[in-house]
Amino acid sequence: MPIRYQPADVDQTHAGWELLPIRFHRFDLSRVLLTNMVGEHLFVTGEDFDALMSGALPSDPQVRRDLAGKHLIRATGEDVPVELLAMKTRTRYRRLAEFTALHIFVATLRCEHTCQYCQVSRQSSANDRYDMSAETARRALEATFQSPSRAVKIEIQGGEPLLNFDLVRDIITEAQVMNVHHQKQLSFVIASNLALLDDTVLDFAAEHDVCFSTSLDGPADLHNTNRPRPGRDSWQRAIAGIGQVRDRLGPDRVSALMTTTAASLTRVRDIIDCYVEHDLRAIFLRPLSPYGFAARRARPTDDVAHWLAFYQEGLDYILELNAHGIPMVEHFAAIVLKKMLTNDDPGYVDLTSPAGIGIGALVYNYDGYVYASDEGRMLAEMGDTTFRLGNLHANTYTELMTSNALLEPLEMSFTHSAPMCSDCAFEPYCGADPVFHHATAGDFLARKPESAFCNRNMGIFELLLDRYHSDPQARQVFQRWANR
Amino acid sequence: MSVVECRFDASGYSIDAIQRAAYKFCDRFALEVTGDGQVFLCRLDFRSDVTDRSSIARSFKTEVLDQVLRERIRAETEGVRNVILAVAFSNAHLEPQ
Amino acid sequence: MIPLNGIATASTISRPLDRNLWLITSQAIDQAPADPPQTSRAYLVAENEQPPKGFGLYLTDSTQLALPEGLPAIRLPASLGYLTAGDVIRVSPDGRHIRVLWRHRSSQNSVLLTERCDNYCLMCSQPPRTRDDAWLLDEAHELLRLLPAATGDICFTGGEPALYGNDFVDLLRHCTRRLPDTEVHVLSNGRRFTDAAFADEYATINNPKLMIGIPIYGTESGLHDYIVQAPGAFNDTIRGILNLAERSQRVEIRVVLQKHTAPSIIRIAEFIARNLPFVDQVALMGLEPVGFARSNLPEVWIDPIDYQEDLADAALLLAGSGIRTFIYNHQLCVLDKRAWTFAVKSISDWKNEHDPICETCAALEACGGFFHSAQLIASSGIHALDLEDARHLTRSSTDSGRPSIWRAGIESKRVTR
Repeated sequence: MPIRYQPADVDQTHAGWELLPIRFHRFDLSRVLLTNMVGEHLFVTGEDFDALMSGALPSDPQVRRDLAGKHLIRATGEDVPVELLAMKTRTRYRRLAEFTALHIFVATLRCEHTCQYCQVSRQSSANDRYDMSAETARRALEATFQSPSRAVKIEIQGGEPLLNFDLVRDIITEAQVMNVHHQKQLSFVIASNLALLDDTVLDFAAEHDVCFSTSLDGPADLHNTNRPRPGRDSWQRAIAGIGQVRDRLGPDRVSALMTTTAASLTRVRDIIDCYVEHDLRAIFLRPLSPYGFAARRARPTDDVAHWLAFYQEGLDYILELNAHGIPMVEHFAAIVLKKMLTNDDPGYVDLTSPAGIGIGALVYNYDGYVYASDEGRMLAEMGDTTFRLGNLHANTYTELMTSNALLEPLEMSFTHSAPMCSDCAFEPYCGADPVFHHATAGDFLARKPESAFCNRNMGIFELLLDRYHSDPQARQVFQRWANR
Repeated sequence: MSVVECRFDASGYSIDAIQRAAYKFCDRFALEVTGDGQVFLCRLDFRSDVTDRSSIARSFKTEVLDQVLRERIRAETEGVRNVILAVAFSNAHLEPQ
Repeated sequence: MIPLNGIATASTISRPLDRNLWLITSQAIDQAPADPPQTSRAYLVAENEQPPKGFGLYLTDSTQLALPEGLPAIRLPASLGYLTAGDVIRVSPDGRHIRVLWRHRSSQNSVLLTERCDNYCLMCSQPPRTRDDAWLLDEAHELLRLLPAATGDICFTGGEPALYGNDFVDLLRHCTRRLPDTEVHVLSNGRRFTDAAFADEYATINNPKLMIGIPIYGTESGLHDYIVQAPGAFNDTIRGILNLAERSQRVEIRVVLQKHTAPSIIRIAEFIARNLPFVDQVALMGLEPVGFARSNLPEVWIDPIDYQEDLADAALLLAGSGIRTFIYNHQLCVLDKRAWTFAVKSISDWKNEHDPICETCAALEACGGFFHSAQLIASSGIHALDLEDARHLTRSSTDSGRPSIWRAGIESKRVTR
């Protein structure tokens, strides 16, 4: 049977080809990274990139097909790639219409720990000064239910919220009553050091489907050094608390977060081993917090290099564990991989553009003041009220959400109009963090070459892409993480 | 000397490309650029603690070339990019109900 | 291979029969009130039975020497001895030629609507013909009048059924009316649905059990258009799929694994997951070496063991993205074990056979077997599986992807540095 059309014939029927919107990054000596409008990526050789830039298609038909299939080029005037890119773009920005999925309630500032990196807690036992009032909580709930988001997570933190458990209980029960009308997908998290966990709390949590989030910085010596409490037993209590929640409510009802300090940087395997030993299935290798640093770093790149070494060692160790059948997940990688490999939004407020302030999260402080992010609240405790949107007792929801304090940083930090970000091949994976940049550099945008946020993220993006393409085992693991 | 100089032919390079490239190095040098219509004269004023100046200057020149490429990509694809965004948000219901 | 055609070995037909299609009925079946009239039914006479009068046609099996007197009757050849009540046959006016159109015991009945097609796939199992065969559409309507409402599945295929335009939609409407609880599958290249008005018309059928299966053979027009031998086909097909999705119509994507698609199967899976994540399911299919696939064999054949790892990766990628995924037409022994959970016994039983090697295979019951045409060519990797392999079958059917180490009381492993 004669084959009428050969592959070249088919290519020939197009009146030439043209570029679609692409960005590039010289990845290493042999590869150029190309990304399309929605973050799909392709590595090409330097020669193929030069050919493309001088108006010629690469000679290898497979490369030509990959360029077309990933919507980096199209046949002149072809409209299917345009329709598909538009659909994918719409999916990626869907969250903007359904804003504020995370609502943080600061139930009290009281706390019995004195963690070295905490800027907010108070040791006082006088309730009325540092506890959220019932009226404030009610107003905060009203604001919460005004969010268009169909799924709402209410996270109650502090200080130590279990010191004001009566209010915590009231917030949750009242929210559930209000939800009968609103019918949102509600979830609750209590962020607690778990030292004060008892049966009353556990019974309530079991009945109302409440989850816990706690701090676990690593092995006992590291954790207890970071987080002193009377009795020097923060770690022991955290572990015991994790066990209690797990036994009573189930393994998926407690998650642990670590805070990275200088002391953590040489101990990443110990930290991960601690998580594995205690049956925690996910770890978040977080950056060093910039808040509270007395002096702004002139060139943060040295710190970033040390931290990236920490991260890389941790990630590679986690991949090794996965290869041995232990399914540990690294949270930040999972968030980035979801942005790289799918059109879905991981809903992580600190890595998104437009920024996650207000749109992703709102913080209702014990005193009624409302902040665009948790870090924004911390800055206020240190005297900087830039990210204070208003007060529940003085402003309407509309006033809070249209305040200049929210809109100005959103607009100014928008990556598509930021120098360097707008050209960056990694922009679809990255985000805007006006709070971080304001705290470290004094403006919402800062200069990205000097930004630890930028340098760190680029290091991670390069690391993940490298592992994805060089290690088939890592690739499988990454695909699983991206689809969580 | 903490200053390195280089020149770019104005017929092949735009001031925009030079500035965008310089921005990427702003943690290492500050750029002063003057042009007479034929040539852009660049003075790279390095921070005192930066040591490998000639290699950074070379990277800068390469980056300027890459910025020229980005300029070209932007120009060629601006039209289709606007169409994609228009289609993406055409039924977005952004007005308050 | 079950034969579908046969020639009557004896007949008492004296004048041309006044209809083509017949629903077979017999004494073993209770007359249901919704049965078509006796004049549309062929009565299958049992041994020594005095058949009731009033039916339009009478059938006897090959062992009965005598035909009923005074009634229009034919004797079936031995090859069609499997026919029973509930089956539908087409008989030529002189009663000689018999074609089986519907076997009620099969869950994979396929109704051919046309041999015309606007694609010309290199591996097409039903090579297109250009002549007008609209009589097939009429016959399909007639078939619908004979089928019971309890029919489980029906598949409409071609050629390209959508070439009939609104007449095709009318057929599906008729089908929805007669068989509202039946799963209806349509095989189409999807190109006609770029016409928004046609897509709208299709959407008015409003049958929640209707699904259209559309093949994709690449991530861009270059490869796909070459494989279907039609420039412009890929863009039409994608646009058709998008139009169907916009109207909430159920869509299945099919990918036939052949020499040109198999090396790109992971890319195709990524493309589907990223661009068409809304599809109801994806079917990754083995090649049937008939029709053009047979005449183009060197151009399209690839041994499945050469792509088994990529196929498993592709299936896992799709399933991981939340898309229901199936693998059709592959024997278990040539599939990577990671892919077993997706394998379905998909070969129509009238085409299904086994190789003698398979007689000792522990997974024989679960395996989909071969196409009859596999006698021409089959994988070099066919081998009988042992009990240990077969045990993996039960594991994979309950697989949730999570290892068991998180059970309480199990020591978590420590990797020593």
